[in-house]
Amino acid sequence: MAGGDRLSDEARPARGIPPSLGRPGPTAYHRLNPLTKATLATVTAVGAVVLGGVVGPVGLVVVAVLLPAAIAGVLPQLVRTGLLLSLPIAISAFVVNLFFYPGAETVLLRIGPITATAEGLAFAIEILVRILAISGAVTLFYLTTRPSDLVVDLERRGVSPRIGFVTNASVQTVPAMVDRAQQITAAQRARGLDTEGSVWRRIRGVVPIVGPVILGSIAEVEERTMALEARGFTRPGRRTLLWSPSDSRTQAIARWALVIGLAATIVARIAGFLG
Amino acid sequence: MLARWLAALVAFVVVFLIGIVTIGNFGTGIDPDSFFDSEGANSFAFIGAIALVVAFIAYAAVEYAQTRSFASISAQFDTRTIVLMPIAIAINIILGATVANALKLPIYLDSIGTILVAALAGPVPGALTGFLSNMLWTYVVPPPFQNGPAAAFSIVAVVIGVLAGLAARGGWMRPRRSRSTGELAVGAIVALVIVVGLGIYAYTRFYGSTVELFVEDSAPIFVILSWLIIFIFAAIVVGFLVLLFVRRDLAVPYVTVAGVVTGVVAALISAPISANVFGGVTGGGTDFLVAAFRQAGSDIQTATFQQGLLSDPVDKLVTFFVVYLILAAMARRMKARFPQGELLLDELEPDQPDADDWRGATA
Repeated sequence: MAGGDRLSDEARPARGIPPSLGRPGPTAYHRLNPLTKATLATVTAVGAVVLGGVVGPVGLVVVAVLLPAAIAGVLPQLVRTGLLLSLPIAISAFVVNLFFYPGAETVLLRIGPITATAEGLAFAIEILVRILAISGAVTLFYLTTRPSDLVVDLERRGVSPRIGFVTNASVQTVPAMVDRAQQITAAQRARGLDTEGSVWRRIRGVVPIVGPVILGSIAEVEERTMALEARGFTRPGRRTLLWSPSDSRTQAIARWALVIGLAATIVARIAGFLG
Repeated sequence: MLARWLAALVAFVVVFLIGIVTIGNFGTGIDPDSFFDSEGANSFAFIGAIALVVAFIAYAAVEYAQTRSFASISAQFDTRTIVLMPIAIAINIILGATVANALKLPIYLDSIGTILVAALAGPVPGALTGFLSNMLWTYVVPPPFQNGPAAAFSIVAVVIGVLAGLAARGGWMRPRRSRSTGELAVGAIVALVIVVGLGIYAYTRFYGSTVELFVEDSAPIFVILSWLIIFIFAAIVVGFLVLLFVRRDLAVPYVTVAGVVTGVVAALISAPISANVFGGVTGGGTDFLVAAFRQAGSDIQTATFQQGLLSDPVDKLVTFFVVYLILAAMARRMKARFPQGELLLDELEPDQPDADDWRGATA
């Protein structure tokens, strides 16, 4: 993040980006290898979709999301963030399926031209459970893992340091760009831009805000490129890492077991054993 | 070199055939009521996208086995591209999250960064930008920007990046200013024929008899929806002609076709994911369209295709033009330093001393 302007550099530490690497996590679950946690999250999310129905995903959520969250001591946060994230999609899912399920016959409720049906309700619950499983699995991973830990761990396993840089820099660029947008909004308002009037006025205000944000960010590419090249970024060969997250044989076996289990479930599903 | 392409081709064919045999089939025939071969059409684009990714992995694996490096791929990633990618990913995520969560518009606007990188650096960096955008959007970026469904659609972003990169490699994103009216008219007609042709294909194949504009005694939402569709299409046609004849830029038809084709392909790939994984509901403004089509009697599979074929071409058209305007606003010197940047410079301006004569001759 060389070459960022001074204001956003000062604002960044307050945004929750970890200041240092190598701090051990507070619980055993936090201290698991990041790849193990990422595998668990992906397998849970995909597994919930593959299993389908209601019972399977609910079981997955209890075993692979709520239990680890309780061990890691992040259960209240997980429930809050997970529900918050899935609330808009959950409302959509409910409205769309409850009232607009084609071919449904069992009418529960009739309000004017729209009817709520039992088939729609059953399908809405199925989709809802699936969405909760996905967002729960991802939120658990997010709450217990620092992004930079995952990147360092992937780099240790041979992923190109360029991918690592892109991942890490993206995570840091999102809040930095939001800060920049706020500065530019303030600057344009000082010049008389109306950002609180009617809808049409606000739409017209988008261009003088989004334009400078995007073009300003692209203009920074030049400085950062030179800064990286001056530091030997393009040097070929492996880097020596000063620190990387710990891993164990047990975790490696667990990861492979999860992946093989998921593959077996998919095969069983396609072959029709799970209905 | 030959072995790599051969491996890629074999992998593509094998995965495509396995996919067709296990998931989709083309044998169900066309339903006489809707002209819609639902079983077959649902999955072939999605399977093709998966096969494309597997083919790329096969290509890379053979190259690694031969040379112990990924030289032909990593050559497309110079430092400048690597630095642009995080910025592009941040643009994707911030704009996408704003449009989907705050504004609830029935489009996405989450691929401006992907197409920007694809235009400047090529198909492979574009594909990687799209893939990383959607993966990071789900797994790494903190709330309120996080988006649960995004990761499932990362394969769509990959294909968008590839298509945009190929379009730019063919010179389709290059400005072509100050052309004669005759050339502009031919460009406009060709572009409109392609777009209308795709529109007719989409309409007969996926809308069939289930949706008609202005049906007698239909619910208010459909009247509004019909007017909205007509308004959007009118605005697009007017904007197209204004851009073409006021700016006198022959790039407009090229960018239009690239945007619409990318949008149709994106819709064909993403609709089965949306229907089978999320039941047609992804938490954005597009959900209302899915709801409307289902109320009209479509099943989920058809409704997501209908929604996608309405949202995606419009969305990608807007996105391609936004990227084209960003590129036009960038300094020529900055563009030219990217791997594919020279293809984005106006062919008339720099190196041809007799450019004025040429212009005079055809005007």
